[in-house]
Amino acid sequence: MTGTAAVLTGADAGSGMPVLELREVDVLYGRVQALRGVSLTVGAGEIVALIGSNGAGKTTTLRTISGLVRPSKGSILLRGQPIHTLGAEKIARLGVGHAPEGRRLFGRMTVRENLDMGAYSRKDRAGVRSDFERVYELFPRVKERSGQLAGSLSGGEQQMVAIGRAMMARPTVLLLDEPSLGLAPIVVENLFAVIREINQGGTTVLLIEQNALLALNTARRGYVLEVGEVATSGPSQELLRSPEVQRAYLGM
Amino acid sequence: MILTKRLLPVVGVMGIAALSACGTSSTSSSSSGGGGGNLASCQGTFTVATDLPLTGGDATDGPPVEKAAHLAVTQALANKTLGGCTLKYVSKDDATVLKNGHDPAQGAANITALSGDSSVVGVVGPFNSSVAVAEIPIASQNHLPLISPANTNPGLTQAGTSASIDTNSLYPGVHSYFRTIGTDITQGEILAYVATKELNFTKAYAIDDQETYGKGLSTFFQKSFTADGGTIVGTASLPGTTKQFQTQVADAQSKGAQVIFFGGTSGNGCGILRSQMPASIPELGGDGCQDNKFITDAASNAAGAQVTSAPDASKLPTATKFYSDFKSTYNEDGTESPYTPYGFDGMNALIQAIKAVLTANNGQPPTDPMTFRDSVAQQLHKLNYPGATGTVAFDKNGDTTQPGFSLYTINGTAWAPKQLLTADASGKVTVAS
Amino acid sequence: MSDETTASAARATAGAIGHGTLVDPRGLSARTDRAGTTRPAVVRTLAFLRKLYGLVQRYFPQFLIAGIAFAILKVYANGGLTLMGAQIKNALVLGAIYALVAIGYTMVYGIIELINFAHGDVFTLSGFYAFVIAGLSGGAIGSLATHSGIGLLLALLIIFPTTMVAAGFTGVVIERVAYRRLRDAPRLAPLITAIGVSFLLEGLMLVIFGADNRPTKLSSWITGRAVRVAGVDVNWKDIFVVATALGLMFSLGAFVRITTLGKAMRATAQDRSASLLSGINVNRTISATFFIGSALAAAGAIVYSINYDLIQWNLGYQLGIIAFTAAVLGGIGNIVGAGVGGFIIGVISVFGGQLAGGEWSNSLVFAILVIILTFRPVGLFGVDVTTRA
Ligand SMILES: Nc1ncnc2c1ncn2[C@@H]1O[C@H](COP(=O)(O)OP(=O)(O)OP(=O)(O)O)[C@@H](O)[C@H]1O
Ligand SMILES: [Mg+2]
Repeated sequence: MTGTAAVLTGADAGSGMPVLELREVDVLYGRVQALRGVSLTVGAGEIVALIGSNGAGKTTTLRTISGLVRPSKGSILLRGQPIHTLGAEKIARLGVGHAPEGRRLFGRMTVRENLDMGAYSRKDRAGVRSDFERVYELFPRVKERSGQLAGSLSGGEQQMVAIGRAMMARPTVLLLDEPSLGLAPIVVENLFAVIREINQGGTTVLLIEQNALLALNTARRGYVLEVGEVATSGPSQELLRSPEVQRAYLGM
Repeated sequence: MILTKRLLPVVGVMGIAALSACGTSSTSSSSSGGGGGNLASCQGTFTVATDLPLTGGDATDGPPVEKAAHLAVTQALANKTLGGCTLKYVSKDDATVLKNGHDPAQGAANITALSGDSSVVGVVGPFNSSVAVAEIPIASQNHLPLISPANTNPGLTQAGTSASIDTNSLYPGVHSYFRTIGTDITQGEILAYVATKELNFTKAYAIDDQETYGKGLSTFFQKSFTADGGTIVGTASLPGTTKQFQTQVADAQSKGAQVIFFGGTSGNGCGILRSQMPASIPELGGDGCQDNKFITDAASNAAGAQVTSAPDASKLPTATKFYSDFKSTYNEDGTESPYTPYGFDGMNALIQAIKAVLTANNGQPPTDPMTFRDSVAQQLHKLNYPGATGTVAFDKNGDTTQPGFSLYTINGTAWAPKQLLTADASGKVTVAS
Repeated sequence: MSDETTASAARATAGAIGHGTLVDPRGLSARTDRAGTTRPAVVRTLAFLRKLYGLVQRYFPQFLIAGIAFAILKVYANGGLTLMGAQIKNALVLGAIYALVAIGYTMVYGIIELINFAHGDVFTLSGFYAFVIAGLSGGAIGSLATHSGIGLLLALLIIFPTTMVAAGFTGVVIERVAYRRLRDAPRLAPLITAIGVSFLLEGLMLVIFGADNRPTKLSSWITGRAVRVAGVDVNWKDIFVVATALGLMFSLGAFVRITTLGKAMRATAQDRSASLLSGINVNRTISATFFIGSALAAAGAIVYSINYDLIQWNLGYQLGIIAFTAAVLGGIGNIVGAGVGGFIIGVISVFGGQLAGGEWSNSLVFAILVIILTFRPVGLFGVDVTTRA
């Protein structure tokens, strides 16, 4: 697909320091263990896909990176610095943007206010203004709706605002949790084009996607989570060829 | 505390037992002389007592009254009022640390102890109506005369006048309770008289604090006010926690009320109401309002309150001698508490009754202490004694026949008594001083 | 559906008559049924009640407004323009105070879904702060206030900020110490803690300041009559109370709408984890909410003191419940609603007291609370839950 070439120009995960690294991360929800020794790396400028069936722990992985959930074991490094002990808002300020599962917009605030909130911690007004322009450029629909209450938008529009809001912090890593959920195929296609565009702008992306084909075609590398553990990982093309992945996630 | 309460009935029974057993011991020097009505031949020592709150938060209430009663005993002894017989004086304190003031349980314990002493023929007290409720039944069973210088609750003597007191249950034995001060019924009559005759008002608005005292006083006032030709234009009954009275004040104003009556205490808003009233409308209230709290709460609006409270006898010509004697004995004016001369008259009434019993019994005390106490009570009912506060006489209920209350207003930063008003049995009010 | 319920109702009656068995519970929940000619009376009554319930639920604001209008007109008919005017004035003054306190309830509920029972006591405590501050160095501020117009202005500029800041920090400390650790605990835990904090504050005030009400001497600050309208004396004090409340409420509205912190509050109220992901310092935002809510309660306490000249350890208990009712009436979580609710409750308690007798004032307010919770739990301006992202 169109994005593959662009991704291949990105830095190799193996070379240099990864932007984001999880080492042997365990997560417990009470007595339920959601993640078990999860290790993964995301290199600068990459798009990495995280696939797995329902309840595998994908969302939990992203929430742990963002600091919404604390790992009970293991460590998370952002550009080599441990972040797993920091509060979520600190991690966000360090450059982790997160468009969460279910969008989680501020429904009783306008679209513009939602984007404003994305830039909450930023002081550089000029930069924020230009990022507004950039988000509006990426999502012209968002610009049209900027005065409207976010709760009244369509699902696709809400997803655009969610990504836009995460982009407003000018993150180094963007975590996207099932951006295609509930959207029409044509909208999904547009959205993924924009995601690739964002990545080309220099933002590293970690992407959760139920549609494994779409995910692996967009990403350079992928990780397969099964019951809280990394089952396999590797370059997208390899995963696409792997019989287990084909059987379990591609329906072949 | 619990111990005292539990022991009470036991002590009570023991008291009666002790009485019948050694009853004659201290008064049995009787019938030897035999000269008819000759007090000089009288032999024996009887005990008279006071039961008042003397400590804690009530330390300003009881002590002057106790001193006045003691003075009456001292004078009687000096004047040999009882001829050859002598008096022993005992003072009891019904205040406890626990209650920081008067405590009904302590009062009951005191009366039980005094009842058990066969030499005791009468007690001046108590000061507070709640204590009286605990003491009267014990005194009634033991035939012990009680003369209160300060109880105003009408329910203590008149059935059906108080929502919280079952009058009949107070007297399981004989009726031996008396008081030298008027009840709230009289207070209501006098307040109505002040409103209609002295202030010339015809329209009043009545507010009460939903409590027994306040509701009762308000009812008595309204009844008398209407009987005196006035109209109650509106009423309200508000809980003691009320802090905003503007709604009622506006209501009263719109109904043309010339005065707002408050039945209740300062703690329940008497002064706060005043602070929220226009200065042009006076507030009328009873003794529950006459304290420093009212003055603090009413703040700049304090003037303009007309309140009845304890009769101030200090300006009565009959009281001149009492006050000068009090001053020379204790080096105090005796005027800080209006109840002081009522304690003096109460004790003198008791002594006069004892004297009458002795005179009727050939100058000798009756041999049976119960008979002695009963005779004293009978003599108290017949009494007509010129006291410091006026004529001391009691009706069949034991209430004074000449109940009085004084009108007080705020003069600068303190309450100042104005005229003393008394009411007769028909409710007719006269200005005494 | 309709047939089945008729059938079950019939079974129920048959059962009840024939065998003396328990009434089929489904018979009691029969839906409206047009065909049923043999329906038992209880079913018909229930259907009617359900219809009535739906009607009241649907037109709740209209019913409320109609009721209030009726009460005001009734007072006018009974006592004329002057009485009506005087009571409207009283209602506005009282309502202004309720509104200021109600906002604190609604803000805290909005952001952490906690009914902060201690809020009424923060109101009282603030009154004592004002009392202490006004009494500093022999009541210097008081003499300043009564000295001249400028002096009054200065005194107000001292007493308002100092008391409000002190109260604000009190609120922050309460949240930090008592509620923060329980933020993700089951709802009942922080609720019980709030009641505990309320008792604690009341106990402290009782011990320190005594059981009696204390005159604050603030009533002498603002005196005199501003205007006389239709025989009603409108005092400067009355105007001051209402103007202060309205001024603060509009400022708060603008603050929440425009400033970054205000927006962060709204964002945190709507979605705490999304706020965290946006880099919002949620703890600090919640602290700020407690600060502002408590500071407004303090403003309420100062205007209360200026108007009524007293403060007492348990004053906030009842006033708190009334203000809470105002917050619920306006739609808990809704700041504008709390303001409007405060004034409406002021009107209800004053006009209700006038018409039904003062002893019914509070009962009426609490009856309103029960009615709202039954018919319209989201309040007049309720938050539409579906728009929550
Ligand atoms: N807050 C929570 N408390 C308890 N268990 C949780 C919680 N959140 C998630 N879990 C459990 O952790 C496991 C992983 O959940 P997670 O949401 O990470 O799955 P997922 O891979 O994102 O699934 P999906 O594709 O359905 O979104 C699941 O079994 C889930 O039930
Ligand atoms: Mg998920």
